[in-house]
Amino acid sequence: MKRTSRPTAPLLTAAVATLALGTAGCSGATNTLGGGKALNAADLRLTPTTAEATGRLDTVNWLLEDEPDSLDLDTQGTSAGRAVLTNVCERLYQLQPDMSVRPFLARKATRPDPTTLVLSLRDDVTFHDGAKMTADDVLWSLKRHADPDMEQADEFGNVKKMAKTGPHEITITFKEPDALFTKALAGDAGLVYHRSQVQAAGAEFGTPGRGDACSGPYELTSWKSGDSLTIRRSDSYWGSKPLTRQIVFRWASDSAFVNALTTGAADGGYAESPNTAAALAGRKGLTEHYGPSTASLALIPTERGGLKDPAIRRALSLALDRAGIAASGYGGLVQPWATPVGSGSWGYAKPAFATAQRKLNAAAPARPDAAALARAKKLVQSAGAPAEPIVIGTDASQGRTVIANAVRAALQSIGLVGQIKTVPTAQFEEFYSSQQARSEIDVLVGDWYISKSDPMGFYDNALSDSPNNWVGFKSRTYDSTVHQALRTLDDGARARLAVRVQKEFADAAVWVPVAQVPSVLVLKDGLTGPPASQAHLYYPWAAELGTAPGAAPAHQPQEKD
Amino acid sequence: MVRRLVRRIAGLIATLFAASFVIFASVYAAPGDPAVFLAGGRDKLTPEKIATVRAQYHLDEPLVVQYGRWLWDCVHTDLGRSFRYGDQVADLLTARLPTTLALVGYATVLFVLLGVGAGVLAAVRRGWVDSAVVGATTLAGSVPSFVAAIALISLFGVRLGWFPVTGGGTGFAGTVHHLTLPALSMALGALAIISRVTRQAMLDAAAADHVEVARACGVPEREIVLRHVLRNALGPIVTMCGLVTAGMLAGTVVIETAFGISGIGSLLVGAINTHDFPVAQAVLLLMVTGYILATTLVDLVHPLLDPRVKAARSAI
Repeated sequence: MKRTSRPTAPLLTAAVATLALGTAGCSGATNTLGGGKALNAADLRLTPTTAEATGRLDTVNWLLEDEPDSLDLDTQGTSAGRAVLTNVCERLYQLQPDMSVRPFLARKATRPDPTTLVLSLRDDVTFHDGAKMTADDVLWSLKRHADPDMEQADEFGNVKKMAKTGPHEITITFKEPDALFTKALAGDAGLVYHRSQVQAAGAEFGTPGRGDACSGPYELTSWKSGDSLTIRRSDSYWGSKPLTRQIVFRWASDSAFVNALTTGAADGGYAESPNTAAALAGRKGLTEHYGPSTASLALIPTERGGLKDPAIRRALSLALDRAGIAASGYGGLVQPWATPVGSGSWGYAKPAFATAQRKLNAAAPARPDAAALARAKKLVQSAGAPAEPIVIGTDASQGRTVIANAVRAALQSIGLVGQIKTVPTAQFEEFYSSQQARSEIDVLVGDWYISKSDPMGFYDNALSDSPNNWVGFKSRTYDSTVHQALRTLDDGARARLAVRVQKEFADAAVWVPVAQVPSVLVLKDGLTGPPASQAHLYYPWAAELGTAPGAAPAHQPQEKD
Repeated sequence: MVRRLVRRIAGLIATLFAASFVIFASVYAAPGDPAVFLAGGRDKLTPEKIATVRAQYHLDEPLVVQYGRWLWDCVHTDLGRSFRYGDQVADLLTARLPTTLALVGYATVLFVLLGVGAGVLAAVRRGWVDSAVVGATTLAGSVPSFVAAIALISLFGVRLGWFPVTGGGTGFAGTVHHLTLPALSMALGALAIISRVTRQAMLDAAAADHVEVARACGVPEREIVLRHVLRNALGPIVTMCGLVTAGMLAGTVVIETAFGISGIGSLLVGAINTHDFPVAQAVLLLMVTGYILATTLVDLVHPLLDPRVKAARSAI
């Protein structure tokens, strides 16, 4: 799973945003984005949760950066749709705020042998229409996700058979052990729908004006296309009751997002773009919380060959000023990082991954010192400089522009020539899919996230036969370790393999990592509860939203019930 | 009369037909591949998947065939389904159109009242008032609407907190409250044009002989201005107001972006960026239709205001 750009006019919104952030904000701003206090990437502490809420709320106005495309995540999954639906729909497994995964609508899971997964389903779950969740609903939902036309179909590539084996039991058999499958069940591949509801809605399922077919703590009450979307606490919810009765979602991007939160028109929101988050940092009346996410910024070399030699890629990595990029491109809201996935991917064996990551820092320094530059120059010398200038593909967004310039500066500092090629965002997206589009550039300034909290959800992208392995990286040990890790069900053992895979990926500099992008939660003072981590896309965050102990916001009447 | 009406409608349909093809071809030719957006995640962008998506949405057919398919459905009142939202295009438009129309309507009321008022004032009170009005409206007109939007948001939204800065609002009072700043941002740009046209039309009308005669007969100045000058000047003023309003229908996107309003302007930009052909096509056609209707309306109203125009037309 990946990140797609929000479909707004980038140049236009950039202009509006830049001006707006410059004029509408506080005076005495120190950072380039015109927000509150300047942040330092090194000081950024990532905490998965926020303090527990105790006070009830009646209605909370929540801001999304975009209107959901559709509420049928099988056909059109976007972050905005997930952030809403995760409070309404439930999955067989659940991603926790700390990014670990546990059985959820499946009460427990057993593996009689490595290629069989038996899910024992909860028998006390009711859908919002009052019907009980049955094994038939679960099986039907899984088969819908597995349909080749649906977004999650690739998660089922290893599945040989799915069958109902008891009144509350589903058995899934695999062609070979699949370590990531239960992680996928905590994502959109594990959504459970009430079959008859979905079938009755037909092609209209997930469009405005339709109900949901789910069992979560909130029900979808209305979606007025282009205006707002409302969810209300479900009276019949099988689990514990949320503190907040109703959430009204509206959407705005860039400066409008910042203004709505600054003026109190909205009570909170997850800021998807680091630049928006930076503009809101330190604003009076608001608190920002930073949590781990799997998102990262990275330089992705293409098959064109200017960065064909791993030595040149390693040299570029050594010479890149990541701290400078974080400060001037993202207001200090991204962290220099040595792997292509953020720390939110560490859903297990966190200490092992953290230690392994630190070891890689030497090859991807936050700020290149003299020694790193000397090593980089030596690498270039022994490899020989490419004859043609290295073309850096970017769009006009602020962050990417800064990275592209930093890459050019880094290349220059090691005696190479860089050339920036700027294209519209729509065309930029094409770089990811079309080899022909990529034939104009040597490296692109990429952003990426994975939906599964497991680094192995990323590293298959560099397998010899992966369509995303553009540089043609080929290593038999890499391929076999990746395949072995994907088959290894034991977390500890898989973590050890993942660390090996990660090391080989870094040594070959298949991608040049730049920074990890945290998940950012903005809350009006007095509100608390939801997770700050990327889990907000898959965990019912609204169910934990409420007021902080002794801090009811003045304008919110305390709900009586 | 009937023949004229038929001719007009035929002209309208021909224009729409031509416009629809031009629009379809331009959206088609814009850079970027719709299949990339339709295929889903970046890690799924295998050539096979893209080919499947292309076939599924008929994107692999020649332009003319795709256009024919769209036209056929359109004639059968089916605007299709949005690639991006999966929803009926007609539903998407119905949901967003009222906001945009309210915004344009509100902006029109503002610029007509303020612009015509300022123009009349400048024409009647020559001297420093005239210069001040011309100067002020020129300044207002030279500020791009999104800059005006930002200044207004900053002052009246963020600092003073008088007006909301996002969304379209609900109910009449809510809509007026929410749309005041956006409408004002749009109206400011039109002020210079309308006030200048009003001023000049008034001065021309005031120079007519019958005005001198009326004045010599001792008709009160107020009545002269209203009945003899403004009335005769209305033709060009109404024409210009109509044209500016028609132009605004297509120009709301910047304001919608700045104020986080989901109108058809932002729908269009989103559709173009994601190659959502059916939506882009429908919105653009709607804008063209709106423009044609607004200018036609002006054409029809003009003779009612100025009998001379009617006489001239009948002669032809």
